[in-house]
Amino acid sequence: MHLKLTYILISGLITLLASTTSKNNETIQLLTKQIQFEAGDTIELNFLTTSTKTPSLYISSSYGSTLVKANLESGILKYSIPQLISNKKGLVNWTLLSENKLCGKLNITANQKAKVLETYLGPPSIEAGGTDYAMLVVIPSDLYDNPLADSTLVTIKHQFLENQGNNTVFIKNGIAYKNIYSGKKSGRILASSECLAFNSKEYTINVMPAIPSNFKINYNRNHKFADGNQITTFSTSIIKDKHGNIVSDGTYVEFFITNTSNVILKTFGTTLHGIAKAKMIHPDHEDQWHVNAFIEGMAESNTITLKFLPIISHFNVLFSQNNRIITVGPLKSFMNQMVPDGLEVELSVYENNIKTQTLYKSSFEGFATFKLDTNKFPSKNYTFKIKTAGIEKTRTNVKL
Amino acid sequence: MTGINKNILRSILVLSYIAIIAFVLFGIGSLLSYLNTGADRSKMLHTEIKKVDQYLPKTAWEPLNNEGRPMDNQTLNAIQNDYLDAWYVKHVAYKTNTLVGIDDYYTENARKNIISIISKNKSENISIVSTTLQHHITLEFFSEDGQLAVISDKDVIEYKRIYNDELLVLETTEQTNYKIILLLEDGFWRIRHIIKEKSKNFNSKFKPAQKNIGLLKGINYYPKASPWNMFGDKFNTNTILQDFDIIKKAGLTSIRIFVPYEDFGKANVNSKKLKKLKKVLDLAQIKKLKVVITLFDFYGDYSVLNWTLNQHHATTIVSNLKNHPALLAWDIKNEPNLDFESRGTLLITAWLNYMIDVIKTTDTIHPVTIGWSNAESATILSDKLDFITFHYFEDLNALEATYLNLKLEIPNKPIAITEFGISSYKGFWNPLGSTELDQSNYHKKAQRIFKQNTLGFMAWTLYDFTTIPKKVVGVLPWRKRAQEHFGFIKQNGNIKPAFKHISKE
Repeated sequence: MHLKLTYILISGLITLLASTTSKNNETIQLLTKQIQFEAGDTIELNFLTTSTKTPSLYISSSYGSTLVKANLESGILKYSIPQLISNKKGLVNWTLLSENKLCGKLNITANQKAKVLETYLGPPSIEAGGTDYAMLVVIPSDLYDNPLADSTLVTIKHQFLENQGNNTVFIKNGIAYKNIYSGKKSGRILASSECLAFNSKEYTINVMPAIPSNFKINYNRNHKFADGNQITTFSTSIIKDKHGNIVSDGTYVEFFITNTSNVILKTFGTTLHGIAKAKMIHPDHEDQWHVNAFIEGMAESNTITLKFLPIISHFNVLFSQNNRIITVGPLKSFMNQMVPDGLEVELSVYENNIKTQTLYKSSFEGFATFKLDTNKFPSKNYTFKIKTAGIEKTRTNVKL
Repeated sequence: MTGINKNILRSILVLSYIAIIAFVLFGIGSLLSYLNTGADRSKMLHTEIKKVDQYLPKTAWEPLNNEGRPMDNQTLNAIQNDYLDAWYVKHVAYKTNTLVGIDDYYTENARKNIISIISKNKSENISIVSTTLQHHITLEFFSEDGQLAVISDKDVIEYKRIYNDELLVLETTEQTNYKIILLLEDGFWRIRHIIKEKSKNFNSKFKPAQKNIGLLKGINYYPKASPWNMFGDKFNTNTILQDFDIIKKAGLTSIRIFVPYEDFGKANVNSKKLKKLKKVLDLAQIKKLKVVITLFDFYGDYSVLNWTLNQHHATTIVSNLKNHPALLAWDIKNEPNLDFESRGTLLITAWLNYMIDVIKTTDTIHPVTIGWSNAESATILSDKLDFITFHYFEDLNALEATYLNLKLEIPNKPIAITEFGISSYKGFWNPLGSTELDQSNYHKKAQRIFKQNTLGFMAWTLYDFTTIPKKVVGVLPWRKRAQEHFGFIKQNGNIKPAFKHISKE
């Protein structure tokens, strides 16, 4: 208990002593009067002392703190501040670990010679039209990686087609920045910066075309007949944004085809040099298409109309072998040539006016043949409806 | 007759069959549901976030008025988290002279500076134990692409202890302004440049609380069934209200209660416990009693890197209760001087010093004190406290002199004794102990001294206790027995003779 008491009293006494000025005969006096330094300077703090003690010096800089050992030379305590502190910009506060806890501050400024122009440019691509912009941020720093002093002049230069511009900005908060706006045209803006006669490398901003504006479509086909074989190609006009820039390659264009029975067919293409192409096979019967194209959410085309004429106006149906073999054909196309293989022929079988079965065949060399099996079609009277290329023929009361 | 018997037999057989089947099905069912419990899909990937708060300095942002791109809350939050983490890893790095985490929070060029200082410190056996307690951040600039930000952090309160060859050579608290350039790299906001712009030694001036402590006339309070665990499962408002009634009727005006640090959830204060604490204050208000709240009970760590957590704990509790009409004063910690030997006087004094600041800046109304265990320690930090309190369990004959000596040293602050008393245990473990009559005489005498000197008091304690937790006095039975019998009221509810002198001679 007594021990504790004395301990507390002594520690209290020490704190009391430490807080008041030194009452002992050790006097230490700062000799170094300079407090402004430039990064990279050799800094030495000297103190005049009457004692032979060599207390360490506590120094604290932007990045951390450390202790420096003393060098006592004929009554002068010398502390050389290590480069890891003296090379860094910012305030350095020090405290001498002597009894009177002498303390002070040093101010280290950046070495005003730009050695690095650390540049950040973003976003890397912007939209044409003069409203979108990219920001160029420069951190000019010296040999020791310290940002240069605020209010240092920085020139930010940029070039776009014939235009070339210089902007002078001042460093604030360690950085200098400039917004670079796009022009009406798409292309590339080149940007760079200069500080204290030191130039950065070149940076690029891509100016992309703005969103597409409405466009026109057209079509191209071999003939106007609905042969179910040829292909019609749709193509767009050169799609541009509102400033006349051709939209980026690969812009997705979707074509909507509405036929006479209001069924919608879809096809698509992507642009190349502003033109998108898409294809669609001809219908196999007389039809009319209304086509328009969209770039979803951005632009649309006019509507075009295509008419497809029937290729067949008439065909023969021949019953043979107790009417169990039905031969349809010859199917002749618009120049009386045999239709290309694969034209669909549909045979509907009716029993007492009720449709019981539908059979499909593809034409081959101009003919399609149906064989009616005795198991499936027992001997009876049937009505047959034969349909191809949109034309229908009926044979009633055929006895099998 | 036999037919009936057979039917009975049959029905018993059928019923038991059904019962067995039901039992077996139930068994299989519960086995299946048990086996299913392991496969909780939401937990399969361990995606729940386990965030441990390790660093919570007081951080305030100035209103956003930055150049460049407008800031959003999510990014601001990310910047704050990473920026504070950068400080934390730096503290750990300088404390241990290792580089864990530095790579994540400092860019390649910035970390070179830290690495070089650490290698110097390591080679010279210097280590720096530090923390930052307050940050006041302004967003200066946010780049258009959202990858670069400049902030300035003003009046950062940095507490440092510098060790050389394991010896503490300097303890310092600095108030510093920094400017920081941050870059977003790999999803981390990393420090690219940090520049110290201003720095001075931090000294908080004492500002007296708006309210005076007045003359204390009170008692330390725990319910008799739950000593040292007042806010646990046994928390019962009726019991507490009855006890408050006893206290009020005995002529006392105030109570002293304790907030255990860990029990209250450390940095993240448990809202249920806080509600209970508020309830106690409400009950005290009903009975017109005032309450001295003692914080940080059973906390004994004090390590510098935990200070921000302590600060967060104290700020939460104090700001929640500072407007309560029943609140009388804050006692920062009960008997912190008992930890001086194990944790170091300077460290604890610095900790207390800072906690006084924390509480006084959060609550400017109520007075603040520290419950020293003896009068010798009571001079420590006396100039920063609103009133001085100490505990007295020694010879009553020396009390007056002790008080007058302390009064000489601290003439301008009220002094009160917030724990005193004597155990009425006389038995196997202490055959020479005091009797209940001795206890009564003790309190009578004590009251006389208090009255003569107009000295505030709070007795230890209202009840005799049946269970004393190990953490209070250890495991030794003679200590436990003694601690059980400090009360004015016995375990069975009968009052002891000393009760007569609970508030007067």
